[in-house]
Amino acid sequence: MYLTTSLILAAMAASFALASWKLKSPELSMAIAAVVGALAGGLGFPTRILVEGLFTNLDLAILFVCASVFVNVYSYTGAMNAVTRKLVRSVDSKWLLLVFMAIFMLIPGALTGAGSVSIFVVGTLVSTVIRYMGLSEKKAVAFVFVFAILSAAAPPINLWTMLMTAQANMPYVGFTKLLALPILLVGAFTIVYLGWGAKRESKEKILAELPEAPEGMNWFRILCPLAVLAGLILLSLYLPFSVPVLGLPLMFVLATIVAVLCNPRKATIKDYYELIGRTMEQVFPLVATVISVGALVNVIAATGVRGLIGITFVTLPIAWIYLTALLFCPFAQGALSYGSAIILGTPLIFLFNARGMNTTVVAAALSLIFPIGDCLPPSRIVGRISCETVGYAGSYMSFLKQIALPVLLLGALALAMLVAPNSFSFLK
Amino acid sequence: MVFLEQAIHVLYFVFAGIIGWFLLRNLFKRASRPGIVYDIVYAYCVIPFLLRVLFIK
Repeated sequence: MYLTTSLILAAMAASFALASWKLKSPELSMAIAAVVGALAGGLGFPTRILVEGLFTNLDLAILFVCASVFVNVYSYTGAMNAVTRKLVRSVDSKWLLLVFMAIFMLIPGALTGAGSVSIFVVGTLVSTVIRYMGLSEKKAVAFVFVFAILSAAAPPINLWTMLMTAQANMPYVGFTKLLALPILLVGAFTIVYLGWGAKRESKEKILAELPEAPEGMNWFRILCPLAVLAGLILLSLYLPFSVPVLGLPLMFVLATIVAVLCNPRKATIKDYYELIGRTMEQVFPLVATVISVGALVNVIAATGVRGLIGITFVTLPIAWIYLTALLFCPFAQGALSYGSAIILGTPLIFLFNARGMNTTVVAAALSLIFPIGDCLPPSRIVGRISCETVGYAGSYMSFLKQIALPVLLLGALALAMLVAPNSFSFLK
Repeated sequence: MVFLEQAIHVLYFVFAGIIGWFLLRNLFKRASRPGIVYDIVYAYCVIPFLLRVLFIK
């Protein structure tokens, strides 16, 4: 059984690598790997499994589209240029501005549990400002990525922890300090590491290069769409029984409507239609990725490969789990997205619980390791969005090298929590 | 509240329809990523949106 499933896994990995090399499309390569896996597993051409898999991440795809439409409409109104100009004009210190940008990045992801939302909402603004602070394109994309994954892990909403605790019948309580402290440490390190040596351009030069803000764009018009978005998110978090369940995509659509109403420039319906068409082309690789990943994961589950990966990892000796956690968990995140928390996270919580270790700290530690995989194949969702938002033209490997140190620090802190969870229980 | 929740439920079908329409449009006419590889990717990515709009799944 193990041998058969391992061979299926090998066939899928080989077909993915070959298709990626020949076709240069990770999305189609995932679909091909799914079909090859099903054929190797004796499922025939798995139409039902594939079509059902296409629906796994459909909501996420709709969220990506709606968030991208919001950001592009917001930028189209000129609000992004205006706020960049105002920030550059009023804050002189490079470090202070970097800290502000880090906080901007952390808030949307912390409230929604998705790092990609942070990138969609403020990624363009943050990357523009930090580039003017003297950070290279590579460092800017690293800044955006690291704070996006930190925002996803930050309290109050950490989806990995929520999924693990729900599966393990644990209360989602006591995680705030456990998650916030490592995130603050890694965040501070990232700011110093990426900002060190960067020379801020003169204020006059930056302002001369920045596009002019449209006439009539004031603070009210700038903040109104963002305030509506933040207000809706907070309402759904703190008054869940008093407001209908809107869902993030609808919140973004409502904020887009407000952005359209706040636009000081005249724009026709045709302009917006074309803008949405361009946005769809821009966001399509991501939509295709999440949809293809769904099909791939469905086949992985149907052929038993998912079980093979999960069982192999959690039945390792504890020392091997410590040694390989930083490898297995991020790669599982790259392949299964939030499903990694359920497949690997929950069994590990039971394992550590049986050994008398503090499971709250263990769950927090694991939820700090999983986000690292957001830059790993096959999906690489947050990594790819970061590169596309910043417009990074370099190779993906050079991006990975740039983020290696902050990500390793995050992994090291999480591993320390995993190895000695009882020593960190005072943070509960 | 119940009516609002149902209206929101229907709105999500509308969203799926709008996104499906743009994907279908881009399948035949797009500025970036030309070629048969992305024709295939567009074609299968349209499927879940169409099925959702047609209330099949």
